[in-house]
Amino acid sequence: MRLSKGSIYRDFYYYISQPFWPGKFQREIIKDSNYKELNMKLIQLDKDNKRLRDLLNLQRASDHNKINAAVISRQTGNWWQQLILNRGKKDGIQVGDSVVGPGGLVGIIENTSFLTSSVKLLTSTQSKVGVWHQRSNIHGLLVGLGNNSPKLFFYTKDLDVKEGDFIFSSPASTLLPPNIPIGIVESINNESQSVLIANIQLLAKPEAIDWVQVLKLK
Amino acid sequence: MKKIIKINFSFLTFLLIPLIFLWNPNYFRLMDVQPQWSILWLFPWACVYGPFNGLLAGLSLGIVLDSLYQDPYTQIPGMVICGFLFGKLSKYKSSDINKFKYCLICSYGSLICNCIYFFQIIFYNYENNNILWFAYGIKNVFAQIFVTGLLAPVICNLLFSLFKKNHVRNPSIF
Repeated sequence: MRLSKGSIYRDFYYYISQPFWPGKFQREIIKDSNYKELNMKLIQLDKDNKRLRDLLNLQRASDHNKINAAVISRQTGNWWQQLILNRGKKDGIQVGDSVVGPGGLVGIIENTSFLTSSVKLLTSTQSKVGVWHQRSNIHGLLVGLGNNSPKLFFYTKDLDVKEGDFIFSSPASTLLPPNIPIGIVESINNESQSVLIANIQLLAKPEAIDWVQVLKLK
Repeated sequence: MKKIIKINFSFLTFLLIPLIFLWNPNYFRLMDVQPQWSILWLFPWACVYGPFNGLLAGLSLGIVLDSLYQDPYTQIPGMVICGFLFGKLSKYKSSDINKFKYCLICSYGSLICNCIYFFQIIFYNYENNNILWFAYGIKNVFAQIFVTGLLAPVICNLLFSLFKKNHVRNPSIF
């Protein structure tokens, strides 16, 4: 008995106590309380973030300033990279508003008519957007090349950028709402001697999106 | 109203070109590139109405298409050159230009327009030293040439018959 350290008792206890183990119900209570705790932390951080952004006079996107719009024309693989939305000046859309789709940022409103607005996509050769590399906390310039993988230029060579890193809109941007997901680093090109170039896989797919949200900046 | 539509039917087809560009139907795309609808319309028009009318139609098309897209580049030079060159073919009999030649002529037209557009992009971005989009440009040029040539025999044949009927009734449009 001593040599076995009571293992028989413990194993026996294992079987007889099985019906009284903490079940799914208790697990869900713990999950729920964890979720509530995280939610409260998130709300608190969001409040802090808003307060600090107000102090620094930085842009922020408000939940009350989103306009849903349908894509009525799509040019994604030609010389022209643009979407046309079924919302225009009539609905309060202005040039420079950001457009997000499922996944993240799609582009920026470039032109509006009374009933429609056109979106310059991030993939357009005319598109140049300042972005934020989350892990190394550094800014880069996202340049569209007409294909589905825009290039991200970092103007320093020695950076810790890896495949799979997330790219967001810059938290210090005055043009875009902060911290909107944009894409993932697909591959890194180290051939250039002065700059680090990364291929970005966009999270939002403009060639497949039918509905978008236009974010109006305060 | 019916009379106006009958007389200007060929001109009304002009108004459809920007709408088709915006519609950009999936089933006519090759590698996400749509055919050069403007060339498919301009070729029969210029062949029927001559080089001067072709040039003016090319200019009008270029202005309308430029208004659809916000890029700093223009399609007007390509359209004007194509309109004029296609118009030069009006001196040939229609029997001399068979359907296979429609395909070739529209492909050449598409090549001219696309190359002019692409050179503008290169010229505009020369200072940026950004040649990474070169492959994308080549893809666009060749995909559009191919898909335009592929559709030319069907669409141009249809438009030729429409414009010829209209031309008998109303020889001068511009």
